[in-house]
Amino acid sequence: MSGHGEDALVSSELVRSYVITGGRQLPTDDELSLHTLVTLAPDRQLPLTAGPEVRAIWELCSGGYLAVVEVAAHLGLPVGVARLLLTDLAEQGHLLRRAAPPRAKPQERAVIEKVLHGLLKAL
Amino acid sequence: MTSLIKDPLLWVLLGVLIIAVLAVMRARRTNMALRKQSTELRAHRDGLDAERLRLHAEYQNLRAEYDRALAEVRSTAESETKDVLRAWMRTLQVLADEQQRSISDLARLKYGNDPKILADFMTIDHTNSQFGRRAQGIAALCGGWLGRREVAASVYDVARSAQGRIRHFDRVQIHSQVNVAVASTAVEPVAVVLAELLDNATNYSAPGTPVEINIQSVPTGVCLIIDDAGLGISQEEKDRASALLNTRGPISITSLGSPPRVGFAVAGVLAARYGFRVSVDSVSPYGGVRAVILLPESLLTQEVPQPAPTATTDSDGPESSSYGGPVPSPVAIVGKTAGGLPKRRRAVAVVPQPDPSVSDAQEPEHSSEVTASRLGAFARGTLLGRDTSITEGSQEQ
Repeated sequence: MSGHGEDALVSSELVRSYVITGGRQLPTDDELSLHTLVTLAPDRQLPLTAGPEVRAIWELCSGGYLAVVEVAAHLGLPVGVARLLLTDLAEQGHLLRRAAPPRAKPQERAVIEKVLHGLLKAL
Repeated sequence: MTSLIKDPLLWVLLGVLIIAVLAVMRARRTNMALRKQSTELRAHRDGLDAERLRLHAEYQNLRAEYDRALAEVRSTAESETKDVLRAWMRTLQVLADEQQRSISDLARLKYGNDPKILADFMTIDHTNSQFGRRAQGIAALCGGWLGRREVAASVYDVARSAQGRIRHFDRVQIHSQVNVAVASTAVEPVAVVLAELLDNATNYSAPGTPVEINIQSVPTGVCLIIDDAGLGISQEEKDRASALLNTRGPISITSLGSPPRVGFAVAGVLAARYGFRVSVDSVSPYGGVRAVILLPESLLTQEVPQPAPTATTDSDGPESSSYGGPVPSPVAIVGKTAGGLPKRRRAVAVVPQPDPSVSDAQEPEHSSEVTASRLGAFARGTLLGRDTSITEGSQEQ
């Protein structure tokens, strides 16, 4: 009953992403863009039904604000899948969201100088 | 005297006497001839009888030899067919695995942000998973390998993996009360067997009815109980299933019908090979079939793969290098993907089911990540705090 040669290594993901989403429709990036920052709301209990991915998100986001794209990268999941899980948590009220900081735009030199002076004075 | 001689009657009598004597003699001769003939015939008949018996015995011999030769030819043909199929399936399995990896990589690294493209990828991925499972099933029936996983996986994840390999995966619900992992060698076999049972369960129950997997700890190991809400199966079907599930030898692939019904055969072969038990002889609480997989302690492990600490950095390198050839070298992958994203996710996925003490225990492993994210958040926070132009409007909850 033994096959010839050695058993080849299987390296694809064990749990497929559509199983993680349960085949549900994926949310668009209106609510949670790549750069939206998320963190856990204070004093929240992890839902008992939480799957391993949600637990991982819980652990990741308990440390402070993280961008959606960072959460996805940490979990090794496509952003769309991470976004669905984050949307669930947000809808259950477990998650704080904050728009990404706007792109750095050139500030007026005078303002920066004022800040600098202020800081120097404070020291 | 003369009167007597002259008497015609005397002559007549004499004549008759002579004739009678002749007749008797003739009859005697005939009789002897017949007797002789009869003896000859009897001898001949005995000879023929013996000949018949001899021929019959010879016929039996030839018949037996023919049957033996036929069986031999059949088994040679079967085993040659299996060899060929196994080799072909191996190629298909490697391709299916490669395709799954490509799909995952593309979904994660390139198109993950677009929900529509990602949904399309999932459809392709779903079909590909079923295709891969079919190839694995045929390989198993032909005595081939399923593919080896590098790390152990939680029973829950193995169940989810099996769920992903059937068409109606969205009808499957998993309830797990255990916190053990399946040894790496048994991950694929258990997933394939569970997938076959789930495939049966979903195909032979009404569309839309749920199929439940309950994972429970038992004294001798772990039980995976699959319940469907179908009509159940007939006694005849049960006998067939039980025969296939308890086979302890190679299965004739030509005996599985057309289209072949391979589910129980695959389950039986793999269960025998890896040493676990499968039964389908009970009734589910919903009236359908209850299938049970019993995994013994020897296939389980408490070892939970830890997330790789340097996991965040090199996501591109090892992943793209796996596109290099059609058959990725196991050694290269072992070395390179040690810090890859897929492994990290799997590792995270075996974080135990509800059990606060264990997740507490795991915290030290994540501390560098947590520290990093805290520092990152702190840096962003200070930036935000200094920037007066940002409104807090989008903050919710």
